[in-house]
Amino acid sequence: MQSLAVVSSGGLLLTLVAVLILLCALACLGSKLFDRYLRYYGLQSILLAVAAGTAAYLDHEPALWVLCALTLCLKGIAIPYAARRFLVRRLGLKRDTGVTVGLSVSLIIGAGLCAFAYLLLGSQPLAHGVISVSIIPISTSVILLGALMMVVRRHMVAQLVGWLIMENGAFLAAVTLTASFPFIVEAGIFFDVIAGVLIMLAMATGLAEQMATGGGLPARAPE
Amino acid sequence: MILLPILASCLPLLGSVAGLLTSRAQLAGGIAVAAAVGSLGAAVAEAAMTGGGAPIASAGSFIYVDGISAFFAITVAIVVLLAGIGSIAYVHAQQVRGELSPNRVRAYFVLWGLFAGSMVASVETANLGLLFVLVEACTLASVVLVAIEGRTSGLEAGWRYVIISSLGITIALVGTLFVFFAATALPGSPEQHLTWAYLVHHARQLDGTGLRLGFLLAVVGYGTKVGLVPMHTWLPDAHAEAPSPASAMLSGALLNVGMYAILRYVVIADRALGPAYASHVLLTFGFLSVALGALFLVRRRDFKRLWAYSSVEHMGIIAIGLGFGGVLGLYGALLHTLNHAVGKAVLFLAGGTLVLAYETRQASRISGVLSSLPVTGAVLLLGSLAVVGSPPFGLFISEFTIVRAGLAAQSPALVGLLLLLLVLAFIGFMYTTSRMVLGEPKGQQRQPYPGRLGAVLAAVPILLGLAGLLVLGLWVPGVLNSLLMHSVEVIR
Repeated sequence: MQSLAVVSSGGLLLTLVAVLILLCALACLGSKLFDRYLRYYGLQSILLAVAAGTAAYLDHEPALWVLCALTLCLKGIAIPYAARRFLVRRLGLKRDTGVTVGLSVSLIIGAGLCAFAYLLLGSQPLAHGVISVSIIPISTSVILLGALMMVVRRHMVAQLVGWLIMENGAFLAAVTLTASFPFIVEAGIFFDVIAGVLIMLAMATGLAEQMATGGGLPARAPE
Repeated sequence: MILLPILASCLPLLGSVAGLLTSRAQLAGGIAVAAAVGSLGAAVAEAAMTGGGAPIASAGSFIYVDGISAFFAITVAIVVLLAGIGSIAYVHAQQVRGELSPNRVRAYFVLWGLFAGSMVASVETANLGLLFVLVEACTLASVVLVAIEGRTSGLEAGWRYVIISSLGITIALVGTLFVFFAATALPGSPEQHLTWAYLVHHARQLDGTGLRLGFLLAVVGYGTKVGLVPMHTWLPDAHAEAPSPASAMLSGALLNVGMYAILRYVVIADRALGPAYASHVLLTFGFLSVALGALFLVRRRDFKRLWAYSSVEHMGIIAIGLGFGGVLGLYGALLHTLNHAVGKAVLFLAGGTLVLAYETRQASRISGVLSSLPVTGAVLLLGSLAVVGSPPFGLFISEFTIVRAGLAAQSPALVGLLLLLLVLAFIGFMYTTSRMVLGEPKGQQRQPYPGRLGAVLAAVPILLGLAGLLVLGLWVPGVLNSLLMHSVEVIR
């Protein structure tokens, strides 16, 4: 498996962090407590900040340090805190009841998706100037796992977390492989995510409140 | 020179400023319309500047306006202007009825400005990274517009919209990354590897596998925004639940912005992989969309959903036009973009009057619009005929051009299928709308607008748009023709 070879000690650290990020996504998929979702997501984001920091150190790219700090503060701390405070606690959410596919089955599907990502991309020729080659299949796996979570969970919070995991996967690839991405673009992507999360939080809160006051689930939109 | 694109995309933000300052719908709306006129003017000036000449470009292609950009900017700006005029009447009427609180009116115009500005900005960049950022910004600005009337169903539609589009747009980001990887072996600074003009110029040296994957992901990702089947599932709900002028902007402008993004990738893929690959992908998605759109037009009960499915169908037709390729196919697809934009803006704005007058979106509860609201009824009837592609309106010409492109591309079976689906769409669409427009007035109905001014402001954009469709059907003005030909040259 030449393609999984590690290039340097920095690359080793990066690979290790990436694997932990992947494990966080799997852990999320294998749990059905809302608190756990947010905890694993927060942990994953902190690991993402470590990855960004490593890439910044290896590439001597000051702009990446900014992204690293932003990731740590906003994704690692602020978003999980806000979601826990304004959604989970306030609405008294505990256990995800909108699980359409059992946990073990979704984990097996998830493992299949990871294998698929490795089969598809593990043997890709080395891109120019890449620090750690295993990042491509790992970040693709994380994206697929996030998408899977959005598909098999019906609850809004679970879908939100699924999307955030997908975004983390894409960000992992963007930060570590393409340290040369123009900063304005990376920052733009980052702020889009933040704005998106704020809007989703607001809408999820509004919907959940209407459900609570209106009694029962909302009717489907009239045809 | 570089000021023009900035002006075109920043002027609509004046509408946002107006929304922050006042909650009087007519004042804020008036400022928004003035800003939209300015934005359209700037877009037209861009077209004049770039016509046949060098593109307006900044460093890193963060701002990049060539013929294609100018054409799409004009299309978006026209819809923004028509929807802006319609917004004054609609929002004011809803405010007087107490459906929209002053704060929601403010929010409406703030988001209207952001939405319009980010759409115009999206089509004026050719940096693939920034394109992603701006298209996502369009989504985020429009999501809250969908849910602004505060119904549970609206919130639900907004939620579905934001979740599905965000998922799609993340896929587009991954596609962008793959295209970037495909270019990493090229000489030049990494900054350049995201710029469209550089990628097109060096298309032959791009890594084929990476580009193939990147292109497919980009089409799926931005196709979510366009509403290509099977990524269209957010579209009918969002179009139905949004306030009607916002629906007009979603259908007429936002879908086209997604198409613009796909078009940029098509050019790169065509140069690098040969025309067959992109063409097959686009034809597949295009036919799926036309087929599903046409089938779902049959016996739709909610008229705004009917028009939403018709948008899916039209986006499919545009994809088919791009897929057939050649001068005819590309010309037809671009012309269809403009025609679709104006046609859908007219229908959704007229739909706003219906929603206000009948307080329902159920087509079966509406009858005899022609006699109770003569202007709206006449526009609805003619607009529906235009949208399904009857002569003498513009959509007939563009659909005919695409059909001819198919014959030129030696695929008579596909052309036959397309014609069959178009006939089905015609029947499904006209069955519902003709029963709304004709017949005896029945059911409860109230005065749609509180004053004469509102009624006039509601009538102006739909009459203007209908006149525009008629002109486009009879004759493509020379200026537009040269802009289209120039864009086709850029694409080929």
